[in-house]
Amino acid sequence: MLLDAIAANLLTPAVLFFVLGVIAAVVKTDLKLPEPLYVTLTVYLLVAIGFKGGVSISEAGLAKVWLPALVAIALGTAIPLWSYPLLRLGRLPAVDAASIAAHYGSVSAVTFITAVNYLSQIKEPSESYAAAFLAVMESPAIIIGVLLGKLALQREGQRGSLAETIRAALHEALLGRSVFLLLGALLAGYLSGKRGYDATSGFFVTPFQGVLTLFLLEMGTVAGRRLGGLRKAGAFLLAFGLVMPLLHGFLGTGAGQLAGLSTGGCALLGTLAASASYIAAPAAMRLSLPEANPTLSLTAALAITFPFNVTLGIPLYLQMARWWMGHSV
Amino acid sequence: MTLHPMKLVTIVTEAHAREPLLRLLTEVGAHGYTLQLVEGSGSQGDRTADMPESANIDLKVIVSPETAERLMTRLHEGFFARYAMVAYESDVRVLRPGKF
Repeated sequence: MLLDAIAANLLTPAVLFFVLGVIAAVVKTDLKLPEPLYVTLTVYLLVAIGFKGGVSISEAGLAKVWLPALVAIALGTAIPLWSYPLLRLGRLPAVDAASIAAHYGSVSAVTFITAVNYLSQIKEPSESYAAAFLAVMESPAIIIGVLLGKLALQREGQRGSLAETIRAALHEALLGRSVFLLLGALLAGYLSGKRGYDATSGFFVTPFQGVLTLFLLEMGTVAGRRLGGLRKAGAFLLAFGLVMPLLHGFLGTGAGQLAGLSTGGCALLGTLAASASYIAAPAAMRLSLPEANPTLSLTAALAITFPFNVTLGIPLYLQMARWWMGHSV
Repeated sequence: MTLHPMKLVTIVTEAHAREPLLRLLTEVGAHGYTLQLVEGSGSQGDRTADMPESANIDLKVIVSPETAERLMTRLHEGFFARYAMVAYESDVRVLRPGKF
């Protein structure tokens, strides 16, 4: 059952092309999408997933969404709180531990979208409004991570205004383009409802999988190019990048069950908890915690955890969700 | 036609430094800039520019010699330790010096 689930994920076109992208980077082909296309595809994917999520909220009603959304925020807040001391145990400097903890508490939209795609491929129903959890989980961990890092720097004698740093981090965390776009698309979907969905589904729904496939080809090359960072990251961070997603996936799927989500919804919340941010968190850390080494956190999030989640993690989280639901694993 | 001596300051740095850098330009009194995304490699690794976040920015600004001095000093004090960055100034001559 587990092997079947993994095979089903690995054989989706999106994941196959992701692997192709990684290979392209490792053997150093010159394959590279132009940067404006990369930006266009991310906007498309975020708008499509956010808009559909907003329509779904308008159908399900806000009453159904707020509890799991709160659980999602709690997860995003709590993950850095135990990741940080664990990373300190691995002898990482305090600022690096704080930065990496923020990356792992925050989320990866592409990992989430790949999970949505996987569930729809294997016909496992899930709540479309889970896109709202993606939107609310991006920021809390970034704030916690910046706080942890700044407090550590103050203990080491660095001076500076904590309030000013937090203000800058808040701006970056809440108004980064992915959160802004996602929240905007959720709202647009919520307001336009089923009619808006029918009017745009030819563009946002039907070609979705093809666009995701093309995007994951590019993401494969992006991740593949950063595999060289593994040597600098070291064995501890490699283990952290593989084990923490499993732990967070397990906790996330369990929390989803407590919040009353379906099996597919639990798998999505588990995927969010397991994923690590490689866009919003790095940007916020460079501005608010520039003392942290960006190579360490980006290698862990983008070269270790992201490929793991896209290939093996997502089907594992679905199995965890089934386990929590009392299904046979 | 009279050409007036000015300084061209070129700053190549990681894209994440964009906002603080643009704020600094305003603070030191620059009146404009030109910016593009570029890729490159240096002592702090490769900047692949596959994602806009992993690109470098190449920022050019023409200012008076005094402003250039202030700008370079501020870069030295507040930016070099924080960001992967190269900054240099060169002599240029312009028409319409009031523009800068």
